[in-house]
Amino acid sequence: MYRYDQIDQTLVDERVAQFRDQTQRFLSGALTEDEFKPLRLRNGLYIQLHAPMLRIAVPYGLLSSRQLRMLAHIARRYDRDYGHFTTRQNIQFNWPQLERVPDILAELATVEMHAMQTSGNCIRNITADHLAGVAPDEVADPRPYCEIIRQWATLHPEFSYLPRKFKIAVTASPADRAAAEVHDVGVRLKRGADGAIGFEILAGGGLGRTPIIGQVIREYLPQSDLLGYLEAILRVYNRHGRRDNIHKARIKILLRALGVQEFRRQVEAEFEAAREFAPRLLGAEVERMRAFFAPPPYEVLDDLPDAAGNAGLLSGARAPYEAWYRYNTRAHRVPGYRIVFVSLKKHGEAPGDITSAQMDALADLADRHSFGLIRSTHDQNLVLADVPQRALREVWQTLASLELATPNIGTLTDMICCPGLDFCSLANAGSIPIAKQIHARFDDLDYLYDLGPIEIKMSGCMNACGHHHIGHIGILGVDKHGKEWYQITVGGSSASPAALGEVIGPSVPKEAVADTIAKLLDVYLEERQDEHERFIDTVRRIGVEPFQERVYETDHSAA
Amino acid sequence: MRRIIRRREILEDSLRYAGEVQDPGTVAVQTAAGWIAGAGTRGGNGAASGPVALLLAATDEVEALAPHLQSVQWIVIEFAKIGEGRGYSQARLLRQRYGYAHELRARGALKRDQLVFLARCGFDAFDLDPAEDLSGALRALDSFTVAYQDGDEALVQLRRRAVPGAPA
Repeated sequence: MYRYDQIDQTLVDERVAQFRDQTQRFLSGALTEDEFKPLRLRNGLYIQLHAPMLRIAVPYGLLSSRQLRMLAHIARRYDRDYGHFTTRQNIQFNWPQLERVPDILAELATVEMHAMQTSGNCIRNITADHLAGVAPDEVADPRPYCEIIRQWATLHPEFSYLPRKFKIAVTASPADRAAAEVHDVGVRLKRGADGAIGFEILAGGGLGRTPIIGQVIREYLPQSDLLGYLEAILRVYNRHGRRDNIHKARIKILLRALGVQEFRRQVEAEFEAAREFAPRLLGAEVERMRAFFAPPPYEVLDDLPDAAGNAGLLSGARAPYEAWYRYNTRAHRVPGYRIVFVSLKKHGEAPGDITSAQMDALADLADRHSFGLIRSTHDQNLVLADVPQRALREVWQTLASLELATPNIGTLTDMICCPGLDFCSLANAGSIPIAKQIHARFDDLDYLYDLGPIEIKMSGCMNACGHHHIGHIGILGVDKHGKEWYQITVGGSSASPAALGEVIGPSVPKEAVADTIAKLLDVYLEERQDEHERFIDTVRRIGVEPFQERVYETDHSAA
Repeated sequence: MRRIIRRREILEDSLRYAGEVQDPGTVAVQTAAGWIAGAGTRGGNGAASGPVALLLAATDEVEALAPHLQSVQWIVIEFAKIGEGRGYSQARLLRQRYGYAHELRARGALKRDQLVFLARCGFDAFDLDPAEDLSGALRALDSFTVAYQDGDEALVQLRRRAVPGAPA
């Protein structure tokens, strides 16, 4: 992984000192709340319902065991012994004291971490495919480019006061596990006609109140132009994006207003005009960066024929290791290795939550069996990417003892979910209680396995932190006369080609959410062509009407 | 008396804005839009004889000002509220694309926390929120001794400087 040099460390240390001064000035009254707000936000600090919330950057979802232990320490010392992984691969703490945040940041800086630009109207944490570097289907490892973009975006003088937040995702796989199509800018690695690595650039995607799928604005961008082109996009947006209405300030609104042709023309014109001063990405810099992400020292191993256990003899919930192997591990491109998902979706826990003890133990496990590295996913799970197959049983046993082995990755209960009304001051309705309701209702693993891959995504308000628009089933919390109701969508997808879900009808009351989902699943099980047709594919084939009819045919509780 | 920071010094301001008393030796600031609109009729009425100081609003396009920059000694870019960010791009364009070399001043709802960004975009004078302590603001100009972006091929060049003997 990337390691800080003196420049990186100095910058982070100086940022800590600056934030300490800013916090001090706020506490002494030299800064008003309104003045402090944009300063604290761009350092990841929110004031929430109960306490401040501090969001810490996990650049493109990559953590060392040392960093994970530090997060455990922060949770233990400054918070309530747990942290929460977010849909942007970051981690947040819900209970720190404002006065102690500068100390937290100083501790983080000792392990090359920070909270810069995890909120605020600036370029946010760069997200990426959580299987980067080990995925069998990628063009090249996207992480060197992620780190280059991260550095370029950090404290960028021109783009630190944008009209609104700005999210960039980088992916190198046709499967697009980074959801690049629903980001302000999506960067997709591709090879040019000459075989050289370049990029397809998308812009104008996003969720929130106005969900829009991004559009391709450049089919192929040579590697050396990456930062210059991003600067051109950002400059057009910074100058012309709306600033009069916070709900219309994202780049997607500008792109839609101009039309993709005109937006592209402006970006290309700016890109050409700025060439003389634009940063050029030198091949040597890419090579230097690539060295940080070189493959770990894999042993020469063969695939183990019995790694999957007795899957042929046993199946489903009666064979816990086999179920875990099947659902929580994935093929690795190096023989003898396997990718292991660490489920943060145990029944009874808020999706994405992890305790200090779990973090410490996971760090140890990563040191023993996965080269000391851990990844966070935008589905709010963790990954040990490089586990030798011979260690799988031991890893499973350890994870199971930590309650991190719920064999549900990719299934219905692998939900993603925002903090909702339990923590967030923006929320209209709870998310975590709905996740628990769904877990309780669908606790039969054999039933889940029969359903196959299905993604539920849930947001407690239209800001869509839980990405409900792109869930195969999306759940949006709405406030109706002071009561929590839920609007259901079907047919969304973050995988390429991305799609936005369609609302099935009027929202349903809180207690009816799991029942409503059960009806959707009944329709699917009746209508699917065979067990290989996924829920999303059935929705695409038969449309939303059969689902609507079932949910609303006799349901008098919906309003 | 309004005090500003100009090229790392705290000075009394010599510019006067609409509605302010025009003491001797001060220069009246005109709106860029109004001044550009009058460009065709100047000459006979003496309006262009003295030094020219222009106030650029966030919504003004710097391209309209570009052909006239030789006649301008001050450009003041206005930041009407916290979070206004267009001025950073205006400054970069004036300095880089249009080669403006005289004073470029940021004025408005600005505190010490924005100074590093402003300076790195090309501003060399700052007329901050009146409540801001200017000596604290001067110190804040040195908050960061490193940056990732400045200049062409910035990432690589920085590291060359940091690592003596690194390949050029």
